Amino acid sequence: MSLFFYLFFGLVGLLLVLFAWSVRNLGKRGKTIADAGALEECGRGHVVHLPQIRQALAETDYSYLSQKAPAFVSRRIRQERRRVALAYLSALRADFQSLLRMAKIIARLSPEVVALHEFERLRLTVAFAWRYQMVRLQLGAGLMPIPRLDGLSDLVSGLSVRMETAMNELGERAVLAAEMASSFDGRGSDVA
Amino acid sequence: MAEIVTVEKALWALCVLLTAGLFALLLYRKNHRVYPFLFTYVLITLMQNPVLFATYRVWGFDSPASTNIAWGVQGLVVAARALAVAEICRRVMGMYRGIWALAWRMLLVIAGLVLLYSWAVARPRWQAAILNSDRGIELAIAGVIVMVFLFAQHYEIQVAPADRYLAIGFLLFSCFTVLNNTLLEGWLERYETLWNLFGTLAFMASLLIWIWAVRETQEEGSLQPEMLSGVAYCTLAPEINFRLKTLNEQLGKLWYSEAKKH
Repeated sequence: MSLFFYLFFGLVGLLLVLFAWSVRNLGKRGKTIADAGALEECGRGHVVHLPQIRQALAETDYSYLSQKAPAFVSRRIRQERRRVALAYLSALRADFQSLLRMAKIIARLSPEVVALHEFERLRLTVAFAWRYQMVRLQLGAGLMPIPRLDGLSDLVSGLSVRMETAMNELGERAVLAAEMASSFDGRGSDVA
Repeated sequence: MAEIVTVEKALWALCVLLTAGLFALLLYRKNHRVYPFLFTYVLITLMQNPVLFATYRVWGFDSPASTNIAWGVQGLVVAARALAVAEICRRVMGMYRGIWALAWRMLLVIAGLVLLYSWAVARPRWQAAILNSDRGIELAIAGVIVMVFLFAQHYEIQVAPADRYLAIGFLLFSCFTVLNNTLLEGWLERYETLWNLFGTLAFMASLLIWIWAVRETQEEGSLQPEMLSGVAYCTLAPEINFRLKTLNEQLGKLWYSEAKKH
Protein backbone atom coordinates (compact mmCIF):
# COMPACT_ATOMS: atom_id res chain seq x y z
CA MET A 1 0.00 0.00 0.00
CA SER A 2 1.59 3.29 -1.09
CA LEU A 3 1.79 6.53 0.85
CA PHE A 4 -0.48 8.36 -1.57
CA PHE A 5 -3.22 5.84 -0.86
CA TYR A 6 -3.13 6.72 2.85
CA LEU A 7 -2.81 10.43 2.08
CA PHE A 8 -6.20 10.49 0.37
CA PHE A 9 -7.83 8.47 3.12
CA GLY A 10 -6.30 10.73 5.73
CA LEU A 11 -7.43 13.86 3.91
CA VAL A 12 -10.99 12.63 3.53
CA GLY A 13 -11.04 11.64 7.20
CA LEU A 14 -9.79 15.09 8.17
CA LEU A 15 -12.44 16.77 6.01
CA LEU A 16 -15.21 14.71 7.59
CA VAL A 17 -13.99 15.45 11.12
CA LEU A 18 -13.76 19.17 10.35
CA PHE A 19 -17.23 19.16 8.85
CA ALA A 20 -18.71 17.33 11.86
CA TRP A 21 -17.03 19.88 14.13
CA SER A 22 -18.29 22.83 12.09
CA VAL A 23 -21.96 21.73 12.07
CA ARG A 24 -22.09 20.73 15.74
CA ASN A 25 -23.77 23.93 16.95
CA LEU A 26 -25.56 25.06 13.82
CA GLY A 27 -28.98 24.06 15.12
CA LYS A 28 -28.58 25.98 18.35
CA ARG A 29 -27.54 29.13 16.57
CA GLY A 30 -29.70 31.99 15.44
CA LYS A 31 -28.41 34.78 17.54
CA THR A 32 -28.26 38.09 15.79
CA ILE A 33 -27.22 41.63 16.45
CA ALA A 34 -30.15 41.84 18.84
CA ASP A 35 -28.21 39.58 21.20
CA ALA A 36 -25.26 41.91 21.22
CA GLY A 37 -26.57 43.78 24.23
CA ALA A 38 -27.12 40.58 26.15
CA LEU A 39 -23.62 39.46 25.29
CA GLU A 40 -22.18 42.70 26.51
CA GLU A 41 -24.07 42.29 29.78
CA CYS A 42 -22.76 38.75 30.07
CA GLY A 43 -19.20 39.92 29.46
CA ARG A 44 -19.40 42.64 32.08
CA GLY A 45 -20.90 40.29 34.68
CA HIS A 46 -17.66 38.60 35.63
CA VAL A 47 -15.63 41.76 35.92
CA VAL A 48 -18.14 43.19 38.43
CA HIS A 49 -16.99 40.55 40.95
CA LEU A 50 -13.35 41.50 40.57
CA PRO A 51 -12.91 43.08 44.06
CA GLN A 52 -14.21 39.95 45.82
CA ILE A 53 -12.00 37.72 43.69
CA ARG A 54 -8.98 39.93 44.37
CA GLN A 55 -9.73 39.63 48.07
CA ALA A 56 -10.03 35.84 47.81
CA LEU A 57 -6.68 35.60 46.05
CA ALA A 58 -4.87 38.18 48.18
CA GLU A 59 -1.48 36.87 49.30
CA THR A 60 -1.67 38.68 52.65
CA ASP A 61 -4.90 36.87 53.60
CA TYR A 62 -3.32 33.54 52.80
CA SER A 63 -0.13 34.28 54.75
CA TYR A 64 -2.16 35.35 57.76
CA LEU A 65 -4.31 32.21 57.65
CA SER A 66 -1.25 29.97 57.14
CA GLN A 67 0.23 31.32 60.34
CA LYS A 68 -2.94 31.20 62.44
CA ALA A 69 -4.88 28.15 61.16
CA PRO A 70 -3.87 24.45 61.36
CA ALA A 71 -2.21 22.76 58.38
CA PHE A 72 -5.33 21.03 57.04
CA VAL A 73 -7.23 24.33 57.03
CA SER A 74 -4.36 25.98 55.22
CA ARG A 75 -4.35 23.16 52.65
CA ARG A 76 -8.07 23.44 52.16
CA ILE A 77 -7.84 27.19 51.71
CA ARG A 78 -5.14 26.67 49.13
CA GLN A 79 -7.44 24.30 47.20
CA GLU A 80 -10.30 26.75 47.44
CA ARG A 81 -8.12 29.56 46.18
CA ARG A 82 -7.03 27.40 43.28
CA ARG A 83 -10.67 26.69 42.49
CA VAL A 84 -11.43 30.40 42.59
CA ALA A 85 -8.51 31.12 40.28
CA LEU A 86 -9.75 28.48 37.85
CA ALA A 87 -13.28 29.81 37.93
CA TYR A 88 -12.01 33.29 37.37
CA LEU A 89 -9.89 32.15 34.45
CA SER A 90 -13.01 30.58 32.91
CA ALA A 91 -14.92 33.78 33.49
CA LEU A 92 -12.18 35.75 31.79
CA ARG A 93 -12.40 33.46 28.83
CA ALA A 94 -16.15 34.03 28.73
CA ASP A 95 -15.47 37.77 28.68
CA PHE A 96 -12.92 37.30 25.93
CA GLN A 97 -15.33 35.19 23.89
CA SER A 98 -18.23 37.57 24.24
CA LEU A 99 -16.06 40.42 23.04
CA LEU A 100 -14.80 38.26 20.22
CA ARG A 101 -18.37 37.50 19.34
CA MET A 102 -19.09 41.19 19.17
CA ALA A 103 -16.20 41.54 16.73
CA LYS A 104 -17.65 38.74 14.62
CA ILE A 105 -21.05 40.40 14.55
CA ILE A 106 -19.44 43.64 13.38
CA ALA A 107 -17.54 41.74 10.66
CA ARG A 108 -20.69 39.89 9.63
CA LEU A 109 -22.68 43.07 9.24
CA SER A 110 -19.99 45.08 7.49
CA PRO A 111 -20.19 45.59 3.74
CA GLU A 112 -16.43 45.12 3.50
CA VAL A 113 -13.96 43.27 5.67
CA VAL A 114 -10.18 43.35 5.59
CA ALA A 115 -8.67 39.89 5.29
CA LEU A 116 -5.64 40.94 7.33
CA HIS A 117 -7.75 41.94 10.35
CA GLU A 118 -9.81 38.76 10.12
CA PHE A 119 -6.80 36.46 9.96
CA GLU A 120 -5.10 38.37 12.73
CA ARG A 121 -8.14 37.88 14.95
CA LEU A 122 -8.26 34.20 14.09
CA ARG A 123 -4.59 33.86 15.00
CA LEU A 124 -5.12 35.68 18.27
CA THR A 125 -8.11 33.50 19.11
CA VAL A 126 -6.13 30.32 18.52
CA ALA A 127 -3.20 31.67 20.54
CA PHE A 128 -5.46 32.69 23.41
CA ALA A 129 -7.23 29.33 23.43
CA TRP A 130 -3.89 27.50 23.53
CA ARG A 131 -2.42 29.62 26.30
CA TYR A 132 -5.61 29.54 28.28
CA GLN A 133 -5.70 25.74 28.14
CA MET A 134 -2.06 25.49 29.17
CA VAL A 135 -2.51 27.83 32.14
CA ARG A 136 -5.69 26.08 33.12
CA LEU A 137 -4.15 22.61 32.91
CA GLN A 138 -1.12 23.62 34.94
CA LEU A 139 -3.21 25.43 37.50
CA GLY A 140 -5.65 22.55 37.76
CA ALA A 141 -2.87 20.02 38.17
CA GLY A 142 -1.25 22.14 40.85
CA LEU A 143 1.89 22.65 38.77
CA MET A 144 1.58 26.41 38.81
CA PRO A 145 1.27 28.75 41.78
CA ILE A 146 -1.92 30.85 41.93
CA PRO A 147 -1.24 33.66 39.47
CA ARG A 148 -1.86 37.36 39.71
CA LEU A 149 -4.85 37.98 37.50
CA ASP A 150 -5.36 41.69 38.12
CA GLY A 151 -3.75 42.85 34.88
CA LEU A 152 -5.82 40.52 32.75
CA SER A 153 -9.15 41.46 34.25
CA ASP A 154 -8.41 45.16 34.04
CA LEU A 155 -7.66 44.75 30.37
CA VAL A 156 -10.90 42.87 29.62
CA SER A 157 -12.87 45.31 31.68
CA GLY A 158 -11.36 48.20 29.73
CA LEU A 159 -12.19 46.52 26.45
CA SER A 160 -15.80 45.91 27.51
CA VAL A 161 -16.26 49.56 28.33
CA ARG A 162 -14.63 50.64 25.07
CA MET A 163 -16.82 48.27 23.10
CA GLU A 164 -19.93 49.55 24.81
CA THR A 165 -18.97 53.13 23.97
CA ALA A 166 -18.20 52.12 20.40
CA MET A 167 -21.55 50.34 20.04
CA ASN A 168 -23.36 53.41 21.36
CA GLU A 169 -21.50 55.53 18.84
CA LEU A 170 -22.49 53.06 16.16
CA GLY A 171 -26.13 53.34 17.15
CA GLU A 172 -25.99 57.11 17.01
CA ARG A 173 -24.29 57.00 13.62
CA ALA A 174 -26.92 54.62 12.30
CA VAL A 175 -29.72 56.96 13.42
CA LEU A 176 -27.91 59.90 11.83
CA ALA A 177 -27.39 57.99 8.60
CA ALA A 178 -31.08 57.00 8.50
CA GLU A 179 -32.11 60.64 9.02
CA MET A 180 -29.76 61.80 6.29
CA ALA A 181 -31.02 59.13 3.92
CA SER A 182 -34.64 60.08 4.53
CA SER A 183 -33.88 63.79 3.98
CA PHE A 184 -32.07 62.93 0.71
CA ASP A 185 -35.03 60.82 -0.37
CA GLY A 186 -37.36 63.70 0.35
CA ARG A 187 -35.23 66.13 -1.67
CA GLY A 188 -35.04 63.60 -4.51
CA SER A 189 -38.78 63.31 -4.73
CA ASP A 190 -39.14 67.09 -4.72
CA VAL A 191 -36.79 67.42 -7.64
CA ALA A 192 -38.56 64.69 -9.53
CA MET B 1 -19.73 -11.60 -10.07
CA ALA B 2 -23.05 -12.17 -11.86
CA GLU B 3 -24.95 -11.41 -8.63
CA ILE B 4 -23.07 -8.15 -8.24
CA VAL B 5 -24.00 -7.12 -11.77
CA THR B 6 -27.67 -7.95 -11.11
CA VAL B 7 -27.68 -6.02 -7.85
CA GLU B 8 -25.94 -3.13 -9.55
CA LYS B 9 -28.56 -3.04 -12.30
CA ALA B 10 -31.35 -3.04 -9.73
CA LEU B 11 -29.66 -0.23 -7.77
CA TRP B 12 -29.06 1.70 -10.95
CA ALA B 13 -32.78 1.50 -11.79
CA LEU B 14 -33.60 2.62 -8.25
CA CYS B 15 -31.19 5.53 -8.62
CA VAL B 16 -32.91 6.64 -11.81
CA LEU B 17 -36.25 6.49 -10.01
CA LEU B 18 -34.92 8.49 -7.05
CA THR B 19 -33.37 11.09 -9.36
CA ALA B 20 -36.68 11.43 -11.19
CA GLY B 21 -38.40 11.71 -7.80
CA LEU B 22 -36.01 14.46 -6.70
CA PHE B 23 -36.56 16.27 -9.98
CA ALA B 24 -40.34 16.06 -9.58
CA LEU B 25 -40.13 17.14 -5.94
CA LEU B 26 -38.04 20.18 -6.83
CA LEU B 27 -40.67 21.19 -9.37
CA TYR B 28 -43.68 20.34 -7.18
CA ARG B 29 -42.36 22.30 -4.18
CA LYS B 30 -41.23 25.10 -6.51
CA ASN B 31 -37.72 24.71 -5.12
CA HIS B 32 -36.29 24.86 -8.65
CA ARG B 33 -36.53 28.65 -8.30
CA VAL B 34 -34.64 28.55 -5.03
CA TYR B 35 -31.96 26.13 -6.23
CA PRO B 36 -31.68 26.63 -10.01
CA PHE B 37 -28.21 25.08 -10.21
CA LEU B 38 -29.21 22.07 -8.14
CA PHE B 39 -32.21 21.69 -10.42
CA THR B 40 -29.93 21.84 -13.48
CA TYR B 41 -27.60 19.29 -11.90
CA VAL B 42 -30.46 16.87 -11.22
CA LEU B 43 -31.77 17.40 -14.76
CA ILE B 44 -28.34 16.66 -16.30
CA THR B 45 -27.95 13.59 -14.08
CA LEU B 46 -31.35 12.40 -15.16
CA MET B 47 -30.47 12.94 -18.81
CA GLN B 48 -27.15 11.15 -18.35
CA ASN B 49 -28.86 7.78 -18.12
CA PRO B 50 -30.73 7.78 -21.46
CA VAL B 51 -27.69 9.32 -23.18
CA LEU B 52 -25.42 6.55 -21.87
CA PHE B 53 -28.02 3.93 -22.64
CA ALA B 54 -28.33 5.12 -26.24
CA THR B 55 -24.55 5.44 -26.62
CA TYR B 56 -23.86 1.90 -25.40
CA ARG B 57 -26.65 0.57 -27.56
CA VAL B 58 -25.28 2.22 -30.71
CA TRP B 59 -21.49 1.88 -30.18
CA GLY B 60 -21.24 -0.87 -27.58
CA PHE B 61 -19.53 -0.82 -24.17
CA ASP B 62 -15.90 -0.93 -25.22
CA SER B 63 -15.79 1.42 -28.19
CA PRO B 64 -13.70 4.63 -27.97
CA ALA B 65 -16.78 6.66 -28.98
CA SER B 66 -18.73 5.32 -25.99
CA THR B 67 -15.82 6.05 -23.66
CA ASN B 68 -15.48 9.61 -24.94
CA ILE B 69 -19.20 10.33 -24.68
CA ALA B 70 -19.45 8.71 -21.24
CA TRP B 71 -16.58 10.74 -19.79
CA GLY B 72 -17.77 13.89 -21.58
CA VAL B 73 -21.21 13.59 -20.01
CA GLN B 74 -19.55 12.80 -16.68
CA GLY B 75 -17.53 16.02 -17.00
CA LEU B 76 -20.75 17.94 -17.54
CA VAL B 77 -22.29 16.31 -14.46
CA VAL B 78 -19.27 17.16 -12.31
CA ALA B 79 -19.31 20.78 -13.55
CA ALA B 80 -23.04 21.03 -12.76
CA ARG B 81 -22.39 19.56 -9.31
CA ALA B 82 -19.65 22.13 -8.66
CA LEU B 83 -22.09 24.91 -9.61
CA ALA B 84 -24.79 23.45 -7.34
CA VAL B 85 -22.28 23.45 -4.47
CA ALA B 86 -21.32 27.05 -5.27
CA GLU B 87 -25.01 27.90 -5.09
CA ILE B 88 -25.26 26.42 -1.59
CA CYS B 89 -22.15 28.33 -0.51
CA ARG B 90 -23.76 31.54 -1.72
CA ARG B 91 -26.99 30.75 0.09
CA VAL B 92 -25.10 30.15 3.32
CA MET B 93 -22.93 33.26 3.24
CA GLY B 94 -24.12 35.46 0.40
CA MET B 95 -26.26 37.75 2.50
CA TYR B 96 -23.19 38.89 4.47
CA ARG B 97 -21.47 40.89 1.75
CA GLY B 98 -18.17 41.56 3.47
CA ILE B 99 -17.55 38.03 4.65
CA TRP B 100 -18.77 36.54 1.39
CA ALA B 101 -16.34 38.69 -0.59
CA LEU B 102 -13.53 37.29 1.53
CA ALA B 103 -14.92 33.74 1.57
CA TRP B 104 -15.41 33.16 -2.15
CA ARG B 105 -11.86 34.25 -2.92
CA MET B 106 -10.55 31.93 -0.26
CA LEU B 107 -12.72 29.09 -1.51
CA LEU B 108 -11.36 29.50 -5.03
CA VAL B 109 -7.79 29.45 -3.73
CA ILE B 110 -8.49 26.36 -1.63
CA ALA B 111 -10.17 24.57 -4.53
CA GLY B 112 -7.14 25.34 -6.71
CA LEU B 113 -4.70 24.16 -4.06
CA VAL B 114 -6.63 20.93 -3.49
CA LEU B 115 -6.65 20.27 -7.23
CA LEU B 116 -2.90 20.85 -7.38
CA TYR B 117 -2.33 18.62 -4.36
CA SER B 118 -4.47 15.91 -5.85
CA TRP B 119 -2.46 15.96 -9.07
CA ALA B 120 0.85 16.18 -7.26
CA VAL B 121 0.38 13.11 -5.08
CA ALA B 122 -1.36 10.96 -7.69
CA ARG B 123 0.49 8.33 -9.64
CA PRO B 124 1.91 9.75 -12.86
CA ARG B 125 0.13 7.41 -15.25
CA TRP B 126 -1.78 8.65 -18.24
CA GLN B 127 -4.32 5.83 -17.85
CA ALA B 128 -5.29 7.26 -14.50
CA ALA B 129 -5.54 10.85 -15.75
CA ILE B 130 -9.35 10.89 -15.89
CA LEU B 131 -9.62 9.24 -12.50
CA ASN B 132 -7.16 11.77 -11.08
CA SER B 133 -9.11 14.69 -12.53
CA ASP B 134 -12.39 13.33 -11.23
CA ARG B 135 -10.89 12.71 -7.80
CA GLY B 136 -9.23 16.13 -7.72
CA ILE B 137 -12.49 17.92 -8.52
CA GLU B 138 -14.43 15.89 -5.98
CA LEU B 139 -11.79 16.56 -3.34
CA ALA B 140 -11.93 20.28 -4.17
CA ILE B 141 -15.75 20.23 -3.86
CA ALA B 142 -15.48 18.50 -0.48
CA GLY B 143 -12.83 20.99 0.65
CA VAL B 144 -14.98 23.94 -0.38
CA ILE B 145 -18.03 22.59 1.48
CA VAL B 146 -16.01 22.04 4.64
CA MET B 147 -14.47 25.52 4.40
CA VAL B 148 -17.87 27.18 3.99
CA PHE B 149 -19.15 25.47 7.11
CA LEU B 150 -15.99 26.37 8.99
CA PHE B 151 -16.60 29.97 7.97
CA ALA B 152 -20.22 29.69 9.11
CA GLN B 153 -19.03 28.23 12.41
CA HIS B 154 -16.43 30.95 12.87
CA TYR B 155 -18.80 33.83 12.14
CA GLU B 156 -21.75 32.11 13.87
CA ILE B 157 -23.91 32.19 10.77
CA GLN B 158 -27.17 30.33 10.90
CA VAL B 159 -27.48 27.76 8.11
CA ALA B 160 -30.93 26.69 6.92
CA PRO B 161 -31.54 22.95 7.50
CA ALA B 162 -32.21 22.40 3.78
CA ASP B 163 -28.84 23.90 2.83
CA ARG B 164 -27.15 21.86 5.53
CA TYR B 165 -28.66 18.59 4.31
CA LEU B 166 -27.86 19.40 0.70
CA ALA B 167 -24.27 20.13 1.66
CA ILE B 168 -24.05 16.88 3.64
CA GLY B 169 -25.30 14.97 0.60
CA PHE B 170 -22.72 16.60 -1.67
CA LEU B 171 -19.92 16.18 0.84
CA LEU B 172 -20.58 12.49 1.46
CA PHE B 173 -20.81 11.78 -2.23
CA SER B 174 -17.61 13.68 -3.02
CA CYS B 175 -15.69 12.03 -0.17
CA PHE B 176 -16.89 8.64 -1.18
CA THR B 177 -15.96 9.24 -4.82
CA VAL B 178 -12.44 10.23 -3.76
CA LEU B 179 -12.03 7.02 -1.76
CA ASN B 180 -13.64 4.92 -4.44
CA ASN B 181 -11.38 6.31 -7.17
CA THR B 182 -8.31 5.85 -4.97
CA LEU B 183 -9.21 2.22 -4.37
CA LEU B 184 -9.85 1.73 -8.07
CA GLU B 185 -6.44 3.15 -8.93
CA GLY B 186 -4.85 0.75 -6.46
CA TRP B 187 -6.64 -2.40 -7.61
CA LEU B 188 -7.85 -1.49 -11.09
CA GLU B 189 -8.65 -5.00 -12.28
CA ARG B 190 -10.14 -6.57 -9.16
CA TYR B 191 -12.10 -3.56 -7.95
CA GLU B 192 -13.80 -2.47 -11.17
CA THR B 193 -17.16 -4.18 -10.56
CA LEU B 194 -17.33 -3.17 -6.93
CA TRP B 195 -16.33 0.41 -7.88
CA ASN B 196 -19.54 0.82 -9.89
CA LEU B 197 -21.63 -0.78 -7.17
CA PHE B 198 -20.25 1.37 -4.36
CA GLY B 199 -20.50 4.47 -6.50
CA THR B 200 -24.17 3.76 -7.17
CA LEU B 201 -24.81 3.12 -3.46
CA ALA B 202 -23.13 6.39 -2.47
CA PHE B 203 -25.12 8.33 -5.03
CA MET B 204 -28.33 6.70 -3.82
CA ALA B 205 -27.57 7.71 -0.23
CA SER B 206 -26.93 11.29 -1.35
CA LEU B 207 -30.16 11.31 -3.36
CA LEU B 208 -32.13 10.28 -0.27
CA ILE B 209 -30.51 13.08 1.76
CA TRP B 210 -31.29 15.63 -0.98
CA ILE B 211 -34.90 14.45 -1.21
CA TRP B 212 -35.18 14.91 2.55
CA ALA B 213 -33.64 18.38 2.23
CA VAL B 214 -36.10 19.69 -0.35
CA ARG B 215 -39.22 17.95 0.96
CA GLU B 216 -40.66 21.34 1.89
CA THR B 217 -40.84 24.59 -0.03
CA GLN B 218 -37.85 26.78 0.76
CA GLU B 219 -37.77 30.56 0.95
CA GLU B 220 -36.50 32.06 -2.26
CA GLY B 221 -34.46 34.82 -0.65
CA SER B 222 -33.92 35.23 3.06
CA LEU B 223 -34.21 38.65 4.71
CA GLN B 224 -31.14 40.77 4.22
CA PRO B 225 -29.64 41.93 7.51
CA GLU B 226 -29.26 45.64 8.16
CA MET B 227 -25.64 46.38 7.34
CA LEU B 228 -23.40 48.68 9.32
CA SER B 229 -21.44 51.46 7.64
CA GLY B 230 -18.00 50.61 6.31
CA VAL B 231 -16.50 53.12 8.75
CA ALA B 232 -17.68 51.07 11.73
CA TYR B 233 -15.59 48.08 10.74
CA CYS B 234 -12.54 50.16 9.86
CA THR B 235 -12.71 51.85 13.25
CA LEU B 236 -13.50 48.88 15.44
CA ALA B 237 -11.67 45.94 13.87
CA PRO B 238 -8.13 47.24 14.44
CA GLU B 239 -9.09 48.42 17.92
CA ILE B 240 -10.48 45.04 18.92
CA ASN B 241 -7.50 43.24 17.42
CA PHE B 242 -5.11 45.45 19.34
CA ARG B 243 -6.93 44.73 22.59
CA LEU B 244 -7.02 41.02 21.91
CA LYS B 245 -3.34 41.06 21.10
CA THR B 246 -2.53 42.83 24.36
CA LEU B 247 -4.69 40.36 26.25
CA ASN B 248 -2.88 37.49 24.57
CA GLU B 249 0.48 38.96 25.45
CA GLN B 250 -0.60 39.27 29.07
CA LEU B 251 -1.72 35.67 29.17
CA GLY B 252 1.50 34.65 27.41
CA LYS B 253 3.60 36.52 29.96
CA LEU B 254 1.72 34.83 32.77
CA TRP B 255 2.29 31.41 31.26
CA TYR B 256 5.92 31.88 30.34
CA SER B 257 6.85 33.54 33.63
CA GLU B 258 5.25 30.71 35.60
CA ALA B 259 6.75 28.11 33.30
CA LYS B 260 10.24 29.57 33.89
CA LYS B 261 9.82 29.18 37.63
CA HIS B 262 9.46 25.41 37.23
